[in-house]
Amino acid sequence: MSKVEKLKTLFPDLKIETDKANGPIVWIDNCKNLFSVLEKLKHEKEFLLNYLTDLTAYDNVDHHDGDKRFVLVYQLFSMETKTRVRFKILANADDHDQNKIITLVNHYPAANWMEREVYDMYGIIFYGHPDLRRILMDERFVGHPLRKEYDIKDRQPFPDNMKINLERRSVPLS
Amino acid sequence: MSKDGSYFFYTTLLSEATKWSCKNSLWPMPFGTSCCGIEMMSSLSSTYDLARFGSEVVRFSPRQADMLLVAGTITTKMAPVLRTIYDQMLEPKWVVAMGACSSSGGIFDTYSVLQGIDEIMPVDVYIPGCPPIPEGLIHGILYLQRIVDEGLPRHQAKRPTYEDAMSAMSFRKKEKQGGVQCQK
Amino acid sequence: MNQSEKINLSDFYNPNVLVNLGPSHPAMHGTLRVMCRINGETIEESKCEMGYLHRAIEKLGETKTYHQWMVYTDRLNYCSALNNNIAYAMTVEKLMDITITERCMWIRMICMELSRIIDHIICVAINALDMGALTVFWVLYRWREEAYTMIEAMCGMRLTTTYARIGGMSYDLPEGFEKMLEKFCDEFPRALEETEGLLSSNRIWIDRTKNIGRLSKEEAIRLSATGPVLRASGVDFDLRRDVPYYGYSDLNFDVVIGTHGDVYDRYLVRMEEMRQSVSLLRQCLKRLNKGPLWVDDKRVRIPEKMDVYTKMEVLIHHFKFFMDGIQVPEGECYNAVEGPNGELGFYIVSRGGPKAWRMRIKSPSFVHYQIMENTLKNEKIPDAVSILGSVNIIAGELDR
Repeated sequence: MSKVEKLKTLFPDLKIETDKANGPIVWIDNCKNLFSVLEKLKHEKEFLLNYLTDLTAYDNVDHHDGDKRFVLVYQLFSMETKTRVRFKILANADDHDQNKIITLVNHYPAANWMEREVYDMYGIIFYGHPDLRRILMDERFVGHPLRKEYDIKDRQPFPDNMKINLERRSVPLS
Repeated sequence: MSKDGSYFFYTTLLSEATKWSCKNSLWPMPFGTSCCGIEMMSSLSSTYDLARFGSEVVRFSPRQADMLLVAGTITTKMAPVLRTIYDQMLEPKWVVAMGACSSSGGIFDTYSVLQGIDEIMPVDVYIPGCPPIPEGLIHGILYLQRIVDEGLPRHQAKRPTYEDAMSAMSFRKKEKQGGVQCQK
Repeated sequence: MNQSEKINLSDFYNPNVLVNLGPSHPAMHGTLRVMCRINGETIEESKCEMGYLHRAIEKLGETKTYHQWMVYTDRLNYCSALNNNIAYAMTVEKLMDITITERCMWIRMICMELSRIIDHIICVAINALDMGALTVFWVLYRWREEAYTMIEAMCGMRLTTTYARIGGMSYDLPEGFEKMLEKFCDEFPRALEETEGLLSSNRIWIDRTKNIGRLSKEEAIRLSATGPVLRASGVDFDLRRDVPYYGYSDLNFDVVIGTHGDVYDRYLVRMEEMRQSVSLLRQCLKRLNKGPLWVDDKRVRIPEKMDVYTKMEVLIHHFKFFMDGIQVPEGECYNAVEGPNGELGFYIVSRGGPKAWRMRIKSPSFVHYQIMENTLKNEKIPDAVSILGSVNIIAGELDR
């Protein structure tokens, strides 16, 4: 049984697709669901997902993949069974209450800087993140570069006499 | 001392002697950021030895160097740092922009890349290439020695404007306007 | 006299000093910044900052066509540019369901192993240079120049090669290349022996690198380490053997594993990996056969120049090829390759058309820099420099 079919039997109510490299893509609608799915797959014999390869996002401004603005992509891997699984969640930048995006840092500590980069580039806020501030751009930068409406040549100069604010952002903890 | 061991005197102007010693002992401050930094390291190693031309000591402190060798892309986050280092260097100082990224932004015309370090500091020599091969860097250093010798002034490279680009297509307009001035 | 009233004498007796390592610093590692709070010379707390070389390569992927973006992949891990080109070409080929020809596959594997050797040379040489062992730099760098001569014969450029194309390679191997490569394989291990003689049992080197920057096995997996850093910590994992791609399943090579995960182990892992790469190069050379270089697929095959000059349809095809770009079907793909630094992955989301919707680069240096932030606690400042060198942070890959 291929991995995609095995996932379909394990989670019959989730939408599961196959990508071009014949790997499974699992669509999840809520962050809490994601954690329960990950817990289950961490101990499932054929998957044993224990390694976070990548955490990224892409802009869904034309609503091709769903009705929200962004799609968060989690790439997970297993060192024992050598399987790759991709999880996708639809998200808006200002999701809160039921739909809010909770950080993955407590489960996979490698997600710390990856979520900071997603915040920097797209503006998605991760609730419960210990230190959510900009990582690639300067602290004084305004805007989120990888969004489709940000022009690639839109340069922002930083005069030297401007004070840099390096305090921690007050991110509401779950 | 001449070759057979006897002494001789050599009279010259003090300024000429200073120029001669300056140009043959340009101590670089390598500011290698990205790919051009690797080619700079290649030219400092034993195959293309840059120490033959006087850059014997590579000083990482701006106070002890007299040539700032900017190799690699400079982003807007890095620009104040580079300007501070340039300000900390003591006169006489020269700036070499190595590679396409530090001369003009290179292939990266984006929101975070400085389009040439001459936006923030005056540059003496621009070395084109992406990255320039070590022989190119040596050519640039030798040109810098010529600049030191002749005392050529430093000027910002004239960027071609839209009118220059449009008039380049038609031969007659170029003749009338006297052509595009390109600085070496 | 307001100023002197504000300064208390106790401030001078406070042992906690805030120190910046970088972004312009003598360790030739590009633009990194480590902000430390030190007590004497021990680092108590540190935060690593990056972004000083952010060139928006991912955003450029959305505005350039697939072939135009190949140029930017060189500038990621610029010490091993061939590897990045091939990894990217592999991802787009997977997205388009193209299988490359056998000759092209072996040439690509030769390029990948050669770039692994030159990246490891830089890592070991710069690591030693930072700690003052200048002779190692001179000894090893000469072999980088030999490899550069070979790469220049292949594709015309030493460092930023842009050699791979989607569906094939830009030029075939030149004549006499196999002899050059054999000569390199015969003579290069001697340099490795010289370096090992200088460093491996050197009292100073051992004192400076043993038990520095230890990373345990569980921490390495939890923090997503990859490549030599992961293997030096004792995890038996290599993408070439475990998730094999191209012809790696036919070749014999050993995966080098360390025990303690300190700087000394990473150095030993890299030295041995260079030897394994030399043996892999020999095996690939034996299997290299004559045959077509390009895949016979009309969507990607760049036509021959003589046909372009003489036949009309081929001229139009060539024009549309380079003016519009190749038409990639809708879909997405993530493909990872065992680069010299670790797992280099490209995640491409395509909505059809000549330009990608999202190009994501999963770079190993990003996770390694995060790991460094955790391992710098209670290390001394000179040790921080040696840890930085052993983890091989390439700023181009880190900031993209």
